[in-house]
Amino acid sequence: MISAFHDPFMRSALVASLAVGIVCAYLGVHVVLRRVVFVGATLAQVSAAGIGLALLLGLNPWPVSIALMLVGVAIFSLRSADRRVTRESLIGVGYVVASALAVLFVAKSAQGEAHLLDMLSGNILTVTSRQIIAMAVVAVVVGALHLGFGKQFLFTGLDPDMARTAGFKAGLWDLFFFLTLGVTIVFAIQIAGALLVFAFLVAPAVTALLITEKLSRAYIAAIIAAVVATVAGLHLSFLPALDLPSGPAIVVVLFTILALVAAWTRVR
Amino acid sequence: MIVRLTDVELAYGRDWSLSGIDLEIPRGDFLAIVGPNGSGKTTILRAILGIHSPKRGEIWWDKGRRFGYVPQRQYIDEIYPLTAFDVALMGRYSLIGPLSRPSRKDRDVTLESLDHVGVRELADRAYRNLSGGQKQRVLIARALAGEPDVLVLDEPTNDMDISSEASTMRLISHLHEAHKMTVIMVSHLLNVVADYARTIVLLSEGKLITGPAEQVLSTDSLRSVYSEPVDVLHVSGRRVIVAGGNND
Ligand SMILES: Nc1ncnc2c1ncn2[C@@H]1O[C@H](COP(=O)(O)OP(=O)(O)O)[C@@H](O)[C@H]1O
Ligand SMILES: [Mg+2]
Repeated sequence: MISAFHDPFMRSALVASLAVGIVCAYLGVHVVLRRVVFVGATLAQVSAAGIGLALLLGLNPWPVSIALMLVGVAIFSLRSADRRVTRESLIGVGYVVASALAVLFVAKSAQGEAHLLDMLSGNILTVTSRQIIAMAVVAVVVGALHLGFGKQFLFTGLDPDMARTAGFKAGLWDLFFFLTLGVTIVFAIQIAGALLVFAFLVAPAVTALLITEKLSRAYIAAIIAAVVATVAGLHLSFLPALDLPSGPAIVVVLFTILALVAAWTRVR
Repeated sequence: MIVRLTDVELAYGRDWSLSGIDLEIPRGDFLAIVGPNGSGKTTILRAILGIHSPKRGEIWWDKGRRFGYVPQRQYIDEIYPLTAFDVALMGRYSLIGPLSRPSRKDRDVTLESLDHVGVRELADRAYRNLSGGQKQRVLIARALAGEPDVLVLDEPTNDMDISSEASTMRLISHLHEAHKMTVIMVSHLLNVVADYARTIVLLSEGKLITGPAEQVLSTDSLRSVYSEPVDVLHVSGRRVIVAGGNND
């Protein structure tokens, strides 16, 4: 079946989306457990706005996108002490503002709309080897940080009060966690687009959490779901008879897996 | 002395505040903080733990204290797929190096803690599928796994049937007596703690009285905090507080 991946373009697309899918599926488990699913969508939009701003000003998109992402992370990692403004509301406001700014920046920039569409729905086929290398480095660094600090991220996410009593700086660990998420998203959306990145953050984790009662297995199951959906989705999109945009094709496969797993857990 | 609060005021912005908190908790005490929902019990507990900074006043801690915190059960988000063992193991996290994984000893101490509170056989069960009483025990085991000398419990018997309530209180009392553990616990029911507490902090309508249990649990002092008439009865050797009787 791998025949479609003989083409070097398609092989790059496969490698790039696997890298994005694996890291996002892993991080997605944390994101879903922390109940901050929409942080993923919002940080993706914020990074997209950063790219738009860079296009407008004729700057290199990465630093601008990272800078805006950092602002987003700093805001969304706060546990608001004011109960009238929940983190969820902040995230919602951030989402619409960032989306609007992305459109405005791109509309006023020379390169125009084509770029906006790529940013939002992704165009994996145009991925460059620099982007793939950058994503691979991000994947390794984020993976290493989570391997080293997994228990801090888990503890401060689940029970910040006990963690603080035990001497952990919960606020800083939250910030650190969201930083690993933000950096991943900045690099991932340039490859896969905001839609697919968000899908990778949510669907594999939800699927995994349906089938396991053990956290370590949830990470593995989420990664497997992402890998299967990536290979199958790209394959479908490359079929000459279908010729689909690859990002949405992967999203549809992700959802199909989720639906099948959900049905299976009901009848089991 | 484990902790001393001097003329402390606790607040959340301008929404809520509680002032005039003076409290000394000696080693070996069994302190109960009692009051209705929203009276500030959890906030006082968080101040004692050092995770809520007072707006005013001073809090002093003994350097050697080690708190074992048992938060309200409802506070643990059950979306997490964790076994009872996984939950209890978190009590060891502060003792495990930043980059290390749990050692053999960490696992052994965790299992012993589960054993100690009588739920070792539940170690591999999903935490979220346990009963309220079992969850409470797992959370107490989690605190014990950190080898604390002060056990701090928030509403440990909330939403329990009377038999789980009694056995949870017996467990806490056993840890206090047989293991010389200082206990600080919160409850919104005076009767739950009336027979165990040595010292009581009673909160009602912004008023706060503190003292030895015998003194606080007198009809006179209770009538001074509650707007209802209150009586202290003795039933088969236990103190029972009833409200709503005749005010004569
Ligand atoms: N994060 C918060 N922000 C604002 N007000 C709060 C916050 N947490 C608690 N409160 C309010 O402070 C008061 C005391 O809360 P709490 O200490 O949780 O009471 P208790 O534990 O006795 O039920 C309540 O009125 C509660 O609504
Ligand atoms: Mg409370």
